[in-house]
Amino acid sequence: MIQLFHVTKTYPSNSPALVDISLQIDRGQFVFLTGPSGAGKTTLLKLLFREEEPTEGQILFDNQNVTRLNTRGVARLRRRIGLVFQEFKLLPRLTVLENVALAAQVVGMSRKESHIKAYRLLRELGLKGKYDSKPLMLSGGEQQRVAIARALINDPMLVLADEPTGNLDPVMAEETMRVFLKMRETGTTLIVASHNLELIKRYGSRIISLRQGGLVDDLERVTGAKAS
Amino acid sequence: MKWSQLAFVGRRVRHSLWELLWNHVLTSGTMAMSLFVFGVFILLQENLQHLLKGWGDQVQINAYLDTNVASNEAQSILERIQSLPEVEHVRHISKEQAWRDFQTALGAQSAVLEGLPVDVLPASFEIAVKVPSRSGPLVEELASRLEKIEGIAAVEYPQEWVERLSLIVLAVQWAKWVLGGILFVATFFIVGSTVRLALLARKEEIEIMQLVGASEELIQAPFVLEGMLQGTIGGGLSLLGLWLFYLFLQQHFFLAFPLFGSMIQIRFLDPHSIALLLVIGLLLGGMGSLFSLRRFLRTWRG
Ligand SMILES: Nc1ncnc2c1ncn2[C@@H]1O[C@H](COP(=O)(O)OP(=O)(O)OP(=O)(O)O)[C@@H](O)[C@H]1O
Ligand SMILES: [Mg+2]
Repeated sequence: MIQLFHVTKTYPSNSPALVDISLQIDRGQFVFLTGPSGAGKTTLLKLLFREEEPTEGQILFDNQNVTRLNTRGVARLRRRIGLVFQEFKLLPRLTVLENVALAAQVVGMSRKESHIKAYRLLRELGLKGKYDSKPLMLSGGEQQRVAIARALINDPMLVLADEPTGNLDPVMAEETMRVFLKMRETGTTLIVASHNLELIKRYGSRIISLRQGGLVDDLERVTGAKAS
Repeated sequence: MKWSQLAFVGRRVRHSLWELLWNHVLTSGTMAMSLFVFGVFILLQENLQHLLKGWGDQVQINAYLDTNVASNEAQSILERIQSLPEVEHVRHISKEQAWRDFQTALGAQSAVLEGLPVDVLPASFEIAVKVPSRSGPLVEELASRLEKIEGIAAVEYPQEWVERLSLIVLAVQWAKWVLGGILFVATFFIVGSTVRLALLARKEEIEIMQLVGASEELIQAPFVLEGMLQGTIGGGLSLLGLWLFYLFLQQHFFLAFPLFGSMIQIRFLDPHSIALLLVIGLLLGGMGSLFSLRRFLRTWRG
């Protein structure tokens, strides 16, 4: 579903953040992206949802060339991708329910329909009774689940999560991972960037390691074999 | 854009109007001031034009008779003038008629005439000129011929004034666009700075909308609508101001120049100009928003 061909990304006035990366990710895979700070994990995710453009190389998403999209195309691409950030990026003035529903409303779902769907997702994620709270009244783990609900409301093919457990204590982090695992059941592809080796060892089925912008390891758990 | 998205835009606009109420009020007020100044020029121009048109259509030449001309002599002079090829028709205005006309024109102020003899005003002929002869030089030439007729004391023709006033109207017309243009450019940037504030207040929200795949139009629409609303409200306020200004003029112009003022009816803007002010407001607001929106959104993305 996702293919990278010799992708290099150099930020202006910087040494390359990613160097000649080629890889393929299939539908329904649960991929961990790991590596030390500055390895290029966030950069790789940003390339996938076209926050950044590669300096060289091509990226295909669902057979569509992501590097050649105009503004309209980028918007359409993002409707198929759910994003979860370390800092949650929830709007403090909106309620939990409105935060989640907003993502559906901007792509054309009616207010009522979006609320119904947001209710359902929030309930599934264990946030029953918090619908009308403001995000800042919630714990970190709860906020993270609101962010996940928002990422899921448009039934994305792909979910990208950057350090989703970075702000959470180990118990909350476990909880979040279980939510991600459940997501797998519906066939959603998942790419999670994380430092958290504990979690990676426990949950990762495919682990891609980066170092200084290079691909150093690509480990597929299920087969136990190394893929390049 | 779908209906549900229009509803979404509507909710955004409502929210933002509340959140940044005073900014919007200030911007509308500034727009109202620019449009007011522009409107004052239109008011001036329209009234002058109306005045000119009135004069142009009316009698082209007034010929005043010597006071000692008898009425049978006056009749023969009238016939002589009537026979001139350029003349369409002639109306004799007797001293009494002139007096009554003057009284009516003064209206409530006619008390100033009390004690004056009824024959203080001269009798005259109102001479309408045929259409082909109505141009400046021809009227002038005719006037000088009339002046030589025995029994005619003086000849006046508004044409002279019409031409001088036409120049003034032209100047007003130009001043309107030059000054209006400068004000509009300034307003354009003021609208821009409001948009910038609104954008900063909603920076996070816009970022999130972009990340979840909202289209460019959906993100921009609320701001543009707000601008258009502001502009139209600004236009409306300026019209209100102009109306008050007009009422003020009607009263005070009359008091300041009792004679002249009473003979000139000040008019308010015609419907075209009212629409023009509203449309300029709308466009200024909408385009000002869109312009700065595009600039800011572009710089965000780097
Ligand atoms: N917007 C940017 N402008 C310039 N340089 C950048 C930018 N973003 C990242 N970089 C550089 O690119 C390299 C890779 O950064 P990236 O954020 O992808 O690393 P990371 O693996 O996500 O690190 P971390 O684990 O700390 O989040 C770093 O050297 C960083 O300084
Ligand atoms: Mg990172």
